Amino acid sequence: MKSENKFDLPQGTLDLLIMRVVALAPIHGYAIAQRIQQMSREALQVQQGSLYPALHRLEYKKLLMSRWQPTETGREAKFYELTARGRAYLRDETENWKRLTDVVGLILKGTVEGVS
Amino acid sequence: MIWLRRLLSRKQLERDLDKELRFHFETQIADKMRSGIPENEARRLARLEFGGIDQIKEDCRESRGTMWLESLLQDVRYGLRQLRRAPGFTLTAVLTLALGIGANAAIFTLVNAVLLRNLPVVDPKSLVRLGDWADCCQNSGPKSDGDYSMFSTATYQQLKKTTPEFEELAAMQAGFEYRAIVVRRDAIQEAAKPRMGEFVSGNYFRMFGLQPAKGRLISDSDDVAGAPLVAVMSYATWKNVYNGDHSVIGETFWMNTKPVSVIGVAPEGFYGDRMSSTPPDFYMPIATAPDEMGGKGFRDPSQNWLDIIGRVKPGTAMVPLQQKLSAELKPLFAPDPHFSAADIAKVHLVLTPGGAGTQSMQDDYASNLKLLMWIAGLVLMIACANIANLLLVRGMQRKAELSVRAALGAMRGRIVRQLLTESLLLAGIGGAAALAVSYSGARMLLILAFPGEQHVPISASPSAEVLGFALLVSVVTGVLFGVAPAMLGAKAPPADALRSGTRATAGGASLLQRGLVVLQAALSVVLLVGAGLFSQSLGKLHHINMKLESENRYIVHFNAQAAGYKDEQVNALYPTIEERFHAIPGVVKVGVSTFTPMEGNNNGYGIKLVGEPNVHTEATNIIMNPEYFDSVGTHVLMGRSITEHDTAASPHIAVVNEDFVKALFKPGENPIGHRFTAEDSPLPYEIVGVVEGTSYTDLRRNGKRAMYFGPLTQPSEAGYAGAIVIETSHPVRNMESITRQTLMGINSNLAIQKFETFDAQIAGRFTHERMLATLMTLFGGLALLLATVGLYGVTSYTVVRRTSEIGIRMALGADRRGVAAMILRSALLQTLLGLAIGIPVAFYGVTLVKSQLYELTTVSSGALVVAVGILLAAACVAGVIPARRASSVDPVRALRTE
Repeated sequence: MKSENKFDLPQGTLDLLIMRVVALAPIHGYAIAQRIQQMSREALQVQQGSLYPALHRLEYKKLLMSRWQPTETGREAKFYELTARGRAYLRDETENWKRLTDVVGLILKGTVEGVS
Repeated sequence: MIWLRRLLSRKQLERDLDKELRFHFETQIADKMRSGIPENEARRLARLEFGGIDQIKEDCRESRGTMWLESLLQDVRYGLRQLRRAPGFTLTAVLTLALGIGANAAIFTLVNAVLLRNLPVVDPKSLVRLGDWADCCQNSGPKSDGDYSMFSTATYQQLKKTTPEFEELAAMQAGFEYRAIVVRRDAIQEAAKPRMGEFVSGNYFRMFGLQPAKGRLISDSDDVAGAPLVAVMSYATWKNVYNGDHSVIGETFWMNTKPVSVIGVAPEGFYGDRMSSTPPDFYMPIATAPDEMGGKGFRDPSQNWLDIIGRVKPGTAMVPLQQKLSAELKPLFAPDPHFSAADIAKVHLVLTPGGAGTQSMQDDYASNLKLLMWIAGLVLMIACANIANLLLVRGMQRKAELSVRAALGAMRGRIVRQLLTESLLLAGIGGAAALAVSYSGARMLLILAFPGEQHVPISASPSAEVLGFALLVSVVTGVLFGVAPAMLGAKAPPADALRSGTRATAGGASLLQRGLVVLQAALSVVLLVGAGLFSQSLGKLHHINMKLESENRYIVHFNAQAAGYKDEQVNALYPTIEERFHAIPGVVKVGVSTFTPMEGNNNGYGIKLVGEPNVHTEATNIIMNPEYFDSVGTHVLMGRSITEHDTAASPHIAVVNEDFVKALFKPGENPIGHRFTAEDSPLPYEIVGVVEGTSYTDLRRNGKRAMYFGPLTQPSEAGYAGAIVIETSHPVRNMESITRQTLMGINSNLAIQKFETFDAQIAGRFTHERMLATLMTLFGGLALLLATVGLYGVTSYTVVRRTSEIGIRMALGADRRGVAAMILRSALLQTLLGLAIGIPVAFYGVTLVKSQLYELTTVSSGALVVAVGILLAAACVAGVIPARRASSVDPVRALRTE
């Protein structure tokens, strides 16, 4: 399944992406997948097989909470939103992620220049 | 407990999960249709993208965190269903586990209680006993090996003063079990009853660190001469005899006609300083012991009658303490004229751990219990072999099933976990059943070991150690033999297992399976031979000519001293007893004596022939009335018996038994008219008659016990008569109550201490032997049953596996009889191999238990033939059923069913 992704997502990144999307407004699973695809300009395609277990895991960890409510088409769907804990977690992890990518980017940039 | 709540709301969660995924799926289709894809195509594409919905669900469940519990429940449910589907297998396995483990747990419960348990007192580890063997009950004089375990009051007092190494040094009556006291409660006009009373030092309870359950315990101020008579009641007696009545405390009880006030109740669970089938009912201080309860002897510095246990101060070294005590002991014996200088030089004592008390019962039962542990261990091995076999067979049968499951995508770990659950379930059920078996087994053992005793302080309920042991054994067996074949099975590539199917002809029972059956057969033959030998030994003991007649005889034990009779009064009591009992209709003879045949108790004295100073021996003395020999069925061989003409005024005479004659006279010499002196009497005895050698104590020493019998009316130190033998013309059903009324009619303080038929008294001497024979037979039977089941299981499994092979053989012309013989032959071959291993082992085993057998030193041909016969018969039964099934195979159907 991962071969269909344009990228291999590093461990734990999917959780972060999901939470980022959920942070905007309460949203159901299908829409989360759509939004990630959109926001990544079609570069990331989240498979159901990874999405739903991740959602359930995050809910189990009390980073997300969910409630059933009707969509615009009138069907009931399970909407996820961040808990206070989830919000704090997202903030910390986003910070970490930025620092990590900065550092990794810095090093990788240097290497590439050095090689060429 | 969030997982629990989740588990409970599992249905809701499942519904939500399904709804959520379905929403996703359908929205996806709707989106695709909106972009112009026809519905059918959209649905197909969505399904492709979505992948396995069940896999996603499974992953979601997993991430929910309750997965392990859910799958566990699932496994348990599935396992139970599997077990229910094979009731024969389940029942056999559970029964095997229950019997194998249960028997072990029962034996271990007793071993734990009798051999390993400490007294229920504070810090039993710091208790030390002075002495290393169970001496009893009161004696004096030098011991040939100089090893002393029992001491006089004076010795105790002296040692207590000179040993600061002990925090407390306490003394207790060694032989209280042989000296029941007669107790009558004052407040209620109840009849006098025999009870156990133990004399203990004032610091006895303090040394053990005990607190009273009620009132107070004996203290030093009670243990001084002249103090008021007091007693502490045991908790069990208080509860069981006096119904926990608070008013007994402070009340006066009449004990051996003396008023004694009960000052308190000992703590619950305290059963005295030793494991005993007759624990003390009352504890009394030594110094105030009245003569009516043996006090005179207690105060005699030459009389040893006390066990001594002390609590050592922390850090005391045992070896120097033992040397110091031995050194102090020597001068204490020196004033006794019976001790030569050589005797004094040998005097010593050995310190032993005192945490378990004085341990006479431990000594009695240790060898029996150890033997039983070995046997139970053998049975457990057989049971394990059986379980192993059953599970192996089952594991192999399920190889195909497992392959199918693996081929359908089941994870190997999950399959193994499933099988593990199943094995553990089986082990759990078996273990639980084993506990029930263990409880009833231990109860049965207690009844066998202590027939008629209700106060044995051993509980049949298994302890925590036993529970753990049983559980461990069952789990290990289950896991080892249940999962191992399953793992092996699951390892094989599914395709191979599926392909080979049932077409395999080589796949009979494996070597391991056959080996297990051989082992079972070998072990059972050992146990069967053992059972035969112990039964034979018991039978031999029963058929010894004890030279007595027990039919329609009753033996009553009483204690005239306890009823308050003095020396001068007791001579009038005996004729009264004879007269009153003769007045009872149906009574033929009334014997009165100090001891009776097969009672186990006796008084021995050194004797010398007058005029021949070098001819001496030790002989048992009994004093008796004229009817005594007739009442027990001892026949006069020479001369005369004792008659009513032998009085205090007539010449001092004795009748001796044939063993006495053998020991002191040359063959052919006429003993009548010879005279001998004995330690019990100042006057020499003149031999007037010879009687046959009736058995009085240990049958193993039958025919070697010299005895002499004197008339009750003539002076002797033998003591008071303690037994009445009543011979009736026919069985008298209510003889006990008639006896009680008759004795009460003579004196209200005359209580029955023990009432038994003569047969019951004799049977009482065989308790150990009967217990061993019964248990060996039981275990032998159990082993045989298990081995038969094992053999049957393996043989019928072989038949099932070889059905198609048999079909082909028959299609090629093999006849039914040949096929049946082929199957039977392999079953018998395993049994014969088992015999070949088991018989030498049995021969070796007998050399280990020789001491517990009577007149048997090796495997008797009878026991061997019977054991081999039984095992072969069982093997035939176990083989014939599958063999017949094999011979009834329809070749066409056998070949077609594949």
